[in-house]
Amino acid sequence: MRRGRGLGAANIRAFSLWNLRRLDWALLGLVFVLAFIGFAVLYSANRSVSVSTPYYAKQATFFVFGCFVALLIACLDYRFIVSLGPMIYVVFLGLLSAVLAVGHVAKGGRRWLDLGIVGFQPSEYTKLAVIIMLAWYFAKIGRRIQRFPYFVLTFVIIAAPGALIFKQPDLGTALTLGPIAVAMLYAAGCRTRHLIICALLGAAAVPVAWGHLEDYQRERVMTIINPSADPQGSGYHTIQSMITVGSGGLNGKGYMQGTQTYLSYLPEHHTDFIFSLLAEEFGFVGSCIVLALFLVLLLRGLQIARGASEAGGTLLGTGVVTLLSFHVFVNIAITIGLLPVTGIPLPFLSYGGSFYLTTMTSIGLLLSVNARKGLFEFSARPPALVPVR
Amino acid sequence: MPGNAGERRRTRSDLRLVHIALALCLAFTVLGARLWELQVHEGAEYRGKSESNRLRIQRLESPRGVVYARHADDLDVVLADNRPARDLMVVPADITIDDDELCRRLEEIVGIDGDGLLATIQKARKAREPFKQLLIRADVPTAVSARVDEYGALLPGVFTVVRPIRRYVYGETAGQILGYLGEVNTKELREKDSDYQMGDLIGRAGVESLYEDELHGKDGRMLVTKFAAGTPQIRTDPYGKPYVENLVDSYGHSLRVEEEIRQPVPGKSVHLTLDIGLQAKAEALLEGETGAIVALNADTGAVLALASSPGYDPTVFVTRSGNRERLDILRGKPNRMMHRAYQEVYPPGSVFKVLLAAAALEEGVIDADTTHYCPGKFRITPNGRAWHCWNRSGHGDVNVVDALAFSCDVFFYHVGLELGVDRITKWAHKLGLGEQTGLDLPGEVSGLIPSRDWKENRLRPQHPNEPWEYRWYPGDTVNLAIGQGAAATTPLQNALLISAIVNGGYRVQPHVNRETPAAKSQRLLSDRTIGLIRAGLTKCVEKGPPAPTGTGHEAYMEGWHILGKTGSAQNVSLAHQEDYENEEDIPKELRDHAWFVAGVLDREPPLAICVLVEHGHHGGAAAAPLARDLIAYFYDEWAPVEMRLARNRGEPQ
Repeated sequence: MRRGRGLGAANIRAFSLWNLRRLDWALLGLVFVLAFIGFAVLYSANRSVSVSTPYYAKQATFFVFGCFVALLIACLDYRFIVSLGPMIYVVFLGLLSAVLAVGHVAKGGRRWLDLGIVGFQPSEYTKLAVIIMLAWYFAKIGRRIQRFPYFVLTFVIIAAPGALIFKQPDLGTALTLGPIAVAMLYAAGCRTRHLIICALLGAAAVPVAWGHLEDYQRERVMTIINPSADPQGSGYHTIQSMITVGSGGLNGKGYMQGTQTYLSYLPEHHTDFIFSLLAEEFGFVGSCIVLALFLVLLLRGLQIARGASEAGGTLLGTGVVTLLSFHVFVNIAITIGLLPVTGIPLPFLSYGGSFYLTTMTSIGLLLSVNARKGLFEFSARPPALVPVR
Repeated sequence: MPGNAGERRRTRSDLRLVHIALALCLAFTVLGARLWELQVHEGAEYRGKSESNRLRIQRLESPRGVVYARHADDLDVVLADNRPARDLMVVPADITIDDDELCRRLEEIVGIDGDGLLATIQKARKAREPFKQLLIRADVPTAVSARVDEYGALLPGVFTVVRPIRRYVYGETAGQILGYLGEVNTKELREKDSDYQMGDLIGRAGVESLYEDELHGKDGRMLVTKFAAGTPQIRTDPYGKPYVENLVDSYGHSLRVEEEIRQPVPGKSVHLTLDIGLQAKAEALLEGETGAIVALNADTGAVLALASSPGYDPTVFVTRSGNRERLDILRGKPNRMMHRAYQEVYPPGSVFKVLLAAAALEEGVIDADTTHYCPGKFRITPNGRAWHCWNRSGHGDVNVVDALAFSCDVFFYHVGLELGVDRITKWAHKLGLGEQTGLDLPGEVSGLIPSRDWKENRLRPQHPNEPWEYRWYPGDTVNLAIGQGAAATTPLQNALLISAIVNGGYRVQPHVNRETPAAKSQRLLSDRTIGLIRAGLTKCVEKGPPAPTGTGHEAYMEGWHILGKTGSAQNVSLAHQEDYENEEDIPKELRDHAWFVAGVLDREPPLAICVLVEHGHHGGAAAAPLARDLIAYFYDEWAPVEMRLARNRGEPQ
């Protein structure tokens, strides 16, 4: 039964430690390097704050726990995970509704479910749930994705959780779903012209969406256009972040020598603005090295997706890589003043348990896809990705 | 052919993944480019911004310069300096006992409101600013700060911060000359250099204002790293110098001093020519009156006393709590802010006769032998209006000496008409009447000696409906001849006039700053003129019998050679006074201002004095005794050191 036939759950041996012998060490190596950089940067960020447990230590705990989860997922057959797609999706819809009904309010949003000792943020993991759901959906419909109704159904699938997350309100997370869907659609072989129509419709919808934004969200968008209009108000983050990054110069101020972050001119510098601290202390050279590490990691992820034996794996890999790419790109773009301030953490570097778990789960999924590489090459069905004419 | 189809599929899907990879690379290139722009291209600019974010210039205030007066001849006396004001502070983070307990103890030891302080402490703790220095009480008396030192062990977290505060050592004495300090306003902040900040004190009047730039000094500074939140909390040693070690901000971040401290440069001192003893005496003499006394060194123009009554104590403007007192001073009647010796004008009255005599003698209009008959009144034309002499029964035949001694109006009516207005104004200008003397204090007024030009070219355009009224009439000259009409001079100008007689005919430059060089004009009056006027002014203070009694006999002192001239300046129309039978019945505010100018010829330094008592009525009765007392005080009780030594050695004076 080691070699599964098709996607039927019955044919899959869901859990296999044997997978651990087929780990992608290149990917894992990159993860370790980035995680280490994350600890180092958090150690520096910790200078100005006195907390009982330092950030980097907590972050290390998250990492260890994350590694455990990643390896656990790597042992799972990703086809089994994909087959659970609809179920996971429905469960998360329920959780999101529960959050809106009884969730815990923090920082201007209702995002947390209080589960006794730990808070649980369903919207964080909804991203993964949607990826799995879409992988299942695209694998299921195969080449029918080229038909418009199936194409549109994709957006219906992401619209439901998207709306619930947007209601919390958590614009950043809601927006993540868009690129994931588009990238997965593209990888699944949808018609390019459908995507173009979709993009045009999206552009037309901007004015409508603008009307539904919260005031603080609108303000943030406006300040990206002209951050100096209100340097002490909503433009403060953008300006201070740009000063922080810019003042790093070519070589940086030196490790533990950053002043902008140390002297608290840039708030949230251990979470969403951790990249500014890195750029300040390590300069252009350091930032580019980290950028390159991220790029290599993501490209490696795409390679794994490409190497997957069948459509589910490719789609899952593409979705996960898109999720991580979106976070890396948007987070850094925010810190360097290219995008409005929205709460989008940077994988491996930003402090925070929930998102670390998301990141490591994504890595686990990639490992799982990689472990099954070339194992069911012979399988004729289901036909995975459909040729695009 | 599943294999073939499989191959095709692979290629297509690979292609799409490659597209995605390319998009990813493109996105990262954008990030890299933007990083290049921020960090390398504009890096220096952002580095500068981050530096200015980080560094805070902490100002170290410079102590204001000291103002000195003289004591006798050669001692400097501090008039205004800075004393250390001790502010009692507490830092919540350093309180090792219960907050409430500390507040109770402070209540007992310092006598403050314990509950109010407790609330303040708890507020700071709540705001997470436990290192903020909280003011317990500003400027505590020495006794209290000593008690706090004594009980130091019982008051953990309590300490004092020392800052300089202006002190006016003699209070009201010379207060108006010193001026006062007030908070700098926005306009001045714009105009002055960056050394001033909101809330700084700046000279508002007198010496404090005129010498602001010298007195202000140069602030020092230190550059400290500063956290985005929180303000640096600096402590001082007992001399007001800041502590540099353990510098923290209100949140407790330790701050680093980034640059060698630049210590403040204290303001320069200003040395005044004022003689503190004479000034105090002059002010004491004016106690209860409204008026002014000027005492000059007739040779140099150095102002030895410049008193004005009522005055004010500039200390009131320094303390933060003196609002009521300040308002009293600013709004009080009579005006206490105005220095009556040089900021207010009065008709010179008979004092002006000294000028008229000098002008007439110099112009050759009269000589020693010229006499005019005084029947008690005077008419320009036989049937015209009559001008009276103050002595209605007349003085008979008078020459210039007697005219000055007995202040004969009629004599000077004649002289005035013969001189004509133009020559009178020329000599007034020469001797410094009716124009600013150039005293080195702010706000000097010029006064006015009316002239043909003034009346016809200045006044007439203002009254287009009755131009005939604004021609110079001979009657105007007659009025001017005895210092009435539109004539208005300051006491300082009159002191200048008498000092010219005392020093032998020179106009001197009055000054209060010892740095101001003594300036003297060309000799304006001949020996003959000086001799005659001195004779007249000497006779004026002579007391009979056997000598005839002059109008200024109240200033007479046995064995002194004193010159004097009385004056009464009408400040309201005579008609009002004539309603009253007896002089004593005239209400005070309708009475004439009393003038007395005096000079001392046989003592060093030669004094020139001018006394004005508002509504004093007769110069001889109200003002002359003050001059006499001042002279006696200066040369006897407060004799300059050199003179006292000489007297002790039995040398001739």
